[in-house]
Amino acid sequence: MVITVADMRRTAGRLLAAALTLAGVAVATGCASDAELDTFAPQGPIAKELHSRGVLPVFWIAAVVFVGITIAMVWLIWKNRVRNYDGDDEWPAQTHGHVPLEVGWTVGFLLTMIAVAGIMLWSLPTVDATEDNTMVVSIDDRSVTWEPTVVVVGNQWWWEFRYYFSDQVDLADLRAHGDAKTLPPADIVTSGQMVIPTGEEVELIITSRDVIHSFWIPALNGKRDAVPNRFSPWKIEASDPGFYFGQCTEFCGLSHSRMRMQAVALTPADFQTWVDRTSADAVEPTDPEALAGMEVFAGICTSCHVVEGVNDDVFERADQASGAAPNLTHFANRSTFAGGILNTYNADGSLNRTDLEAWLRDPGALKENYTVPGEQYRGMPDLDLSEQQIDDLVAYLSGLGAKPAGWIIEATQVE
Amino acid sequence: MAITEQPPLELGPGDAVRYAEKPLGVFTRPQQGRGWRDWLSTVDHKRIGILYGASAMFFFLVGGIEALLIRLQLAAPEGSVLSADVYNQVYTMHGVTMVFLFIMPLAAAFANYFIPLQIGARDVAFPRLNALSFWIWLSGAIFLNTSWIVGGGGADCGWFCYSTNSGVAFSPSHGVDFYAIGLQILGIASLVSSVNLIVTCLNMRAPGMTLMRMPVLTWMLLITQFLLLFALPVITVALFLLMFDRLFDAQFFNPDAGADPLLWQHLFWIFGHPEVYIIILPAFGVVSEIIPTFSRKPLFGYEFMVFSGIAIGFMGWGVWAHHMFVSGIGPISVAAFSLSTMFIAVPTGVKVLNWLATMWGGKLRFTVAMKFAVATVAMFTIGGLSGVTHSVAPADTQQTDTYYIVAHFHYVIFGGGVLGLFAGMYFWWPKIWGHFLNERIGNWHFWIMLVGFNLTFGPMHILGLQGMSRRIDTYARGYGFEFWNMAATVGSLLIAVAVLLFIWNVVKSKRDAPHLPLPGPDPWDSRSLEWSIPSPVPVHNFDTVPQVHSRDDWWHTKYAENDEGKVVRVATAEEAAQTGEATGVHLPSPSFWPLAVAVGLPLIGYGLIFSLWLALIGALVTIASLYSWAMEPVDDPDATHDHHDEDHEDDKNEDDQAGGHDS
Repeated sequence: MVITVADMRRTAGRLLAAALTLAGVAVATGCASDAELDTFAPQGPIAKELHSRGVLPVFWIAAVVFVGITIAMVWLIWKNRVRNYDGDDEWPAQTHGHVPLEVGWTVGFLLTMIAVAGIMLWSLPTVDATEDNTMVVSIDDRSVTWEPTVVVVGNQWWWEFRYYFSDQVDLADLRAHGDAKTLPPADIVTSGQMVIPTGEEVELIITSRDVIHSFWIPALNGKRDAVPNRFSPWKIEASDPGFYFGQCTEFCGLSHSRMRMQAVALTPADFQTWVDRTSADAVEPTDPEALAGMEVFAGICTSCHVVEGVNDDVFERADQASGAAPNLTHFANRSTFAGGILNTYNADGSLNRTDLEAWLRDPGALKENYTVPGEQYRGMPDLDLSEQQIDDLVAYLSGLGAKPAGWIIEATQVE
Repeated sequence: MAITEQPPLELGPGDAVRYAEKPLGVFTRPQQGRGWRDWLSTVDHKRIGILYGASAMFFFLVGGIEALLIRLQLAAPEGSVLSADVYNQVYTMHGVTMVFLFIMPLAAAFANYFIPLQIGARDVAFPRLNALSFWIWLSGAIFLNTSWIVGGGGADCGWFCYSTNSGVAFSPSHGVDFYAIGLQILGIASLVSSVNLIVTCLNMRAPGMTLMRMPVLTWMLLITQFLLLFALPVITVALFLLMFDRLFDAQFFNPDAGADPLLWQHLFWIFGHPEVYIIILPAFGVVSEIIPTFSRKPLFGYEFMVFSGIAIGFMGWGVWAHHMFVSGIGPISVAAFSLSTMFIAVPTGVKVLNWLATMWGGKLRFTVAMKFAVATVAMFTIGGLSGVTHSVAPADTQQTDTYYIVAHFHYVIFGGGVLGLFAGMYFWWPKIWGHFLNERIGNWHFWIMLVGFNLTFGPMHILGLQGMSRRIDTYARGYGFEFWNMAATVGSLLIAVAVLLFIWNVVKSKRDAPHLPLPGPDPWDSRSLEWSIPSPVPVHNFDTVPQVHSRDDWWHTKYAENDEGKVVRVATAEEAAQTGEATGVHLPSPSFWPLAVAVGLPLIGYGLIFSLWLALIGALVTIASLYSWAMEPVDDPDATHDHHDEDHEDDKNEDDQAGGHDS
């Protein structure tokens, strides 16, 4: 049985029609309308420059070569196909090669790749070079000149962000220090949401306490791995206030898919307000339910979590393999929790009691964990809390820190 | 060539099975025959090739089912087909299975079957070692998959199994132990095989078959064997360290003891990048045989094709850190590896254009094999170009570890490698089995697979650029991932249909074969030596060892160019081909010892994991088998068969006397 060229053409025609229909449907359904991670929609100046200098030129080159080769191939097939081969003893000219031609396209490819190399060398500094920019931040009633730097620490499966204003750290300090498990005390320790000032290039120093993770806010820059025992420099910048989504991109074990993060860019004035709010110790609650919650917290949660002013003076390490769990001092100041996968508040600004309670009831149901007693935990264990304890804890946690502004709550909603 | 002339022995198909006395009192010395037991003791490179191929296709189904599970889980947001834990195991085992248990052994099947045939040899250099490679590979493959049953699940660290996530604290089941030991066993198999095939290519070519007359398939397979030879020791070192970390509390990858987790990445990718070429070069070889045959032209620029293959093989060693552009290795290293990565595109691009130039002015006949071959070139081109886009290291920081990369390497490995090997199966099926695969079903297979492939992996480019991370077991609504994931899942089901069609084709073709005309020795009017002998290939391959006069020697036996430069037929294939009726051909004696050695290795593996006593037993089995093997006479004294591992030099002269076509 032989399929004829006519058959092939018919099939090819149908395929083309199908492909076009599919593409049409995709465009019609607006496949990228709300794609917050879209790498082709850069928003910060670094990401924009990377996109225009590095990504787009090489995509154009690849597209031109692709179209050229495809056209050549289709034309060759079209021109040289033979319908009925059987009994045909005619042979075409037996060309064994053509050295000038082959040297020609070797050189052609070489020149193309030299152009691509130029693109690479031209765009490489956009992601790596760092300006020595500074801004003034007021902390503990004094002004410090801050080189915007955030220490980013990966943990299974959440990100910690550490801000050093009083005793500023730099890459060399941390590399000399060597260990992400015993970092120097910071003015602000938060997780899930990194708050940055707009218009400033923020240096990130990225490391990990357990396995390799990768920090990536596509709208602001490419990614950089968080490697234990290593401190890797990176940078991001946002021109406009806004929220920028990210997802851990290096496979980091069990719940890798549920390790997300956001960068929240605030104007310098708003950033200062945030610093004021989150650099203070937790305030002891007055509400009886929240007080009861604090007792539950002190009895159970403090083996892993820190609330400054409650157990930061005695805390050594958590039961997790990373030796750390999110610092909850300003829990209510963040609009996501559980590694950026759950909303602390509903879109209307009310407390997201449902998810909070569900999380306290059985964290493993929302984010798979490994919590075999006697072994190092990964993720938050099921604490077997009573409903009363859960209610008390929710009351306590929701009073830790100030609720963020409405636009932040609305804009940072996950799902 | 190691063929000695000895008293005659009839060795046509249908020989009675005869068993000699027990030479060592353990196993009856097996002899060549047709029963199932003969497959266990065979040292015939063709049978070993078939064993490799059939086992590889079995694991293709296993890996394919794992792929379908992945696609079902990701078809919609918040998928609940698999838990995160099981998903991580399934995607890891999908990668490991497809690389180590499907495409590498399928390429090994082609290498085993066709290298001797294409160079005019009667077997590989070390036939019993050849059997050993297969059995060790199979024992490793089975060992690896038993971790589903006895190891508490498959490995869950990804096929790349990065430290520190591969440590006991982060992967407490035995999956990673099975990975570390299983891949070491598989590595022994590939290493043994690579040495064997390199020696075969270098020492056993027929008279006149100079290196620059070797068919391009053999060339590419030879380069692949060199890559295996140098790449496998590196991964073995890494796996060995990992095994000691996990089983004996060593600290090679423990950051708390000062280890640098990037050590694993370097070791893994120094192996892992050449591995890509180990996968793709055999398919390049297959395509380089098929396109000339169905274009009725010689391969355009043979020398360029050979040397670009060699260049790819060399340059493949200098690009590994492009898998680590975001690991934090520093801008100088990043720039250097980015540049080396770009320049490997040059020989690869040359190959693509040379294939097109082969079709230029040809008479193209689109059999299923040719369709697969041309599709291989087209799909590989897409994969190669998407590779160029992220060879630009800064751009790669937006693309690495996203589905863009998943799309890229599937276009290379599936679009290039798998489609290429399917082309090879349709092309050589009549040579191996003596009947064609059905072309009508083959056409359906081809088109459904091509469409399904593009529908599965094409959208992954978009998903990756939209920011979908790799290796996530689920994704949330609202990132714009829904539509294309569903499309990819539909595509994967189409691929599954195509694979089922292929299986149906195999069954139906065999069933219909008695009613159809025989293919004859040279059904496609082809060019290389394997087409100068009957289909299926007789057990002794060549009646007389051919004397090779030129590149594409078989074609020149059939055709010549007249004074006007026109091609004229000088002989039909049937006239020129060997008849396969030779007598007095002496073949290596079969042996059970390779199988026995291979049985011991997984026992050592289980023993290391569960109880060292079992390891001791396994070691005893292996060592005893090796000794028995060593003491087994090379030639079975009771058989008139002749094992031919030795005396190559002496045989050379006799080969020369025996050379030449018998047409």
